[in-house]
Amino acid sequence: MPAKPNQLPRPTDAELEILTVLWSLGPSTVRDVHETITRRKPMQYTTVLKMLQIMAEKGLVERNEEQRAHIYSASRPREWTQQQLAGDLLQRAFGGSAKSLMLGALSAQPASRQELAELRQFLEQYEKGTL
Amino acid sequence: MNYLASWIHSSLAQALGWTLAHFVWEGAALALMLAAGLRLFRYAPARWRYAMAGAILGAMPVAFAVTLAVMRAQQPAATPWHWTPGLAIPVADAGIGPAPRFTVQGILDRLAWLAPFWMLGVVFFYVRGMAGWAAVNRLRRRGVCSLPSEWQARLDELAARLRIARPVVLLESCFTDTPVLIGYLRPVILLPLGCLTGLSAGQVECILLHELAHVRRHDYVLNLMQGLVEGLLFYHPAVWWVSRVVRAERENCCDDAVVELVGDARSYAATLARLEQRRALSPQAALAATGGNLMKRIRRLTLEPRRTQSSAAPAVTAGLLLVLFAACLAALPAKLPIPKRTRSPKSVLMAVPPQPAQKSQARAADLATPYRKWLDEDVAYIIEDGERTAYLKLVTDDERENFIEQFWKRRDPTPDTVQNEFKEEHYRRIAFANEHFASAVAGWKTDRGRIYITYGPPDAIASPDARTIHWTYRFIDGIGNHVVIDLVDSQGNGEFHMTKDPHFAQAAAPQAKLGVSVTVAAATPGVIGVGDVLRVGMLTAQITPPPDSSLVQVDAVILKQKAFIEGLLRRYQPSFPEVLKAQDELRAFEQHRDELEKAQNSGLTYQIQDSQATVLPDGKISVAGAGEIVAAGLTPYQLEAALDSQLGRRPSCRVSIEQSASHTRMVTVNVALEPSGEHFHVFGEVTTLAHRVVQSFDADVNGQATVFAKTVPLRVGIYRLVVVVKNPATGVVQNSESEITVD
Repeated sequence: MPAKPNQLPRPTDAELEILTVLWSLGPSTVRDVHETITRRKPMQYTTVLKMLQIMAEKGLVERNEEQRAHIYSASRPREWTQQQLAGDLLQRAFGGSAKSLMLGALSAQPASRQELAELRQFLEQYEKGTL
Repeated sequence: MNYLASWIHSSLAQALGWTLAHFVWEGAALALMLAAGLRLFRYAPARWRYAMAGAILGAMPVAFAVTLAVMRAQQPAATPWHWTPGLAIPVADAGIGPAPRFTVQGILDRLAWLAPFWMLGVVFFYVRGMAGWAAVNRLRRRGVCSLPSEWQARLDELAARLRIARPVVLLESCFTDTPVLIGYLRPVILLPLGCLTGLSAGQVECILLHELAHVRRHDYVLNLMQGLVEGLLFYHPAVWWVSRVVRAERENCCDDAVVELVGDARSYAATLARLEQRRALSPQAALAATGGNLMKRIRRLTLEPRRTQSSAAPAVTAGLLLVLFAACLAALPAKLPIPKRTRSPKSVLMAVPPQPAQKSQARAADLATPYRKWLDEDVAYIIEDGERTAYLKLVTDDERENFIEQFWKRRDPTPDTVQNEFKEEHYRRIAFANEHFASAVAGWKTDRGRIYITYGPPDAIASPDARTIHWTYRFIDGIGNHVVIDLVDSQGNGEFHMTKDPHFAQAAAPQAKLGVSVTVAAATPGVIGVGDVLRVGMLTAQITPPPDSSLVQVDAVILKQKAFIEGLLRRYQPSFPEVLKAQDELRAFEQHRDELEKAQNSGLTYQIQDSQATVLPDGKISVAGAGEIVAAGLTPYQLEAALDSQLGRRPSCRVSIEQSASHTRMVTVNVALEPSGEHFHVFGEVTTLAHRVVQSFDADVNGQATVFAKTVPLRVGIYRLVVVVKNPATGVVQNSESEITVD
């Protein structure tokens, strides 16, 4: 039944939320996931349980049944899903314009190879205390 | 087509065409002014430069609107086009017209054709911007995960310090690769997943402060307005350039705000650099083709203090700007009445600050005396670490007053009444201590004073002889029932030291708290025999010697990670003096932290003189400094290993880490135990560098086992692993601390 990796369905928004929790916490029990989600919005424990079961069937999460409390983990790393979701038209077409609307500690534009080298040098100096 | 053609000849289209053309030079002139201003104010604070750039950007649409109004007003007269319906259709159909006139006049006549293209462009940029805005708003709901409530609480605290009234929500998101702020009325800070692993608490705070600075400065709304201007005047490169300057200076402003609050520009710069490195590490990171601006920001941060400007500079700039402005006016075509554009340069001039920059660098650790005294004397024993750090970060005396008031209020057992019983009792205890326990040292500083102030009057006092006192407490919260404290006046000068052994307290020389490593010198080779078990550090000393030997106490004080000590105290409840000693160490650690960090970074070595070992009448040996205590930047774990090898014995607990190569990162922690036929209790905790517990385990191991293995799943990142092995029968605790890097 486990689907081939490249055939995994695209997660829905609700599934994505659960995946995000799993990526953030690492392998967790249903209770952990439920606790984390309810910190943000109310959701029934059984809803979370049911969704995790469905997601396990779809192959989006893996279930470890060794212990009494089943432990769920995301079957793919976060990066994989991000690539899948890059198919989202809104995100793809307007990602650039969206980036200029967000305010970040770093600029939207990532560093170049040369700048990374400079940064590394700076950090080395900083850690040695010779700056 | 017909409609378009007729619209083209309307006065509005004509005016728009002319305005678009005029704005080409107007925009260029405004940008030139900004360039000149920025050049002259290279070293001015970012907020002035930001104000300058913002004013210029704001002046651009104003200039555009004013020009449009002027052009409209004079349009009927200025229109050289005499349109007759019969002529129009063929002209429109042929595109350019039957007889293209490539004269200057001909091009000027056709300026109105710019208007529809410009409008299309504006619609494109605005629609794109709105879609982007929708995409951003979806980010607050999709693929997000709340963080442990401690972080939200910390954020609220920081927000309160910045006096931000709106609630700011902190979430982790799987879509961003860098921390971002979105939303204005309900701002949300999104951190990339796993951002908290691998950054220290202080570093995360820096990042949060940066985003909060954006909230406080209303940057989100300003940024939206900036987007509107960009879309309106999209065709002019100068607009985009000015806009970029505004963005860069905005980040600089927030950087300055963070540095002002945190005080350490370098560590903040290092945080930014590390964050950028982490982003580049993520598998799908695309490197930019051209350099970003981070290195520029870092240079700006680390090159403080900046060169100050000569006081003549603003006047010179103002003069130059005036000349430039006059030149622009002179260049105006004669037929153009001078529009009210004077407003824009004026706002530039107003943005020019009246005097040169002086960084408010004044605030440092220089607390005024009464406030310093309050911290170091009045509440030294009862203030919590979090409160202490918060207090030290306060800037004004008003804030401190307020803090002190709140501090007492929180502890008031009866908040409804005016009287604060807790505060009164506290000051009564201090007065009592100063009155009764003073010797060469002030009463509150003595051991008795400290115990009295912290725990109140003892329930029973016994004094078997003039030099010994036993204080008994029936119960102390967090420590246990029936706590007996032995106090000994070893020197006969009235100063009683808390101890289990008369010489224990003396051995703990306060300077030794800086020590990190211990070498047992060969000067007393016979004293510490092979096979002795030594407990090192805070839980130090005193193990069963061979029957013919004597009890050896080695007082080796080592640097312990704060969280580590606290975790130990929480779980193993050592005896009372050990707790106090640990607290002392923590305090000393706090005080010497900076010094230590410097020493470790530069590789300095502290040396502490040792004293002689003494043999006591009852056959015990007290080693005040059985060797040299040398601080050389070792971790406690390395130190213990060093001690072990020095004494030629194997550690009874050795931790090794294996990492599986499979997809989910599994890390196996192996603990090798010395087979002893006894039971062990193994406790382990994996925390992030920010002390957030990721995994913990707990197990009883029976005496036959020599290896205990535990496999835990961990995500990519750097972790700290603490393993404690306790022999419940003897109470001997062995601990080890190591770092795990999962990649």
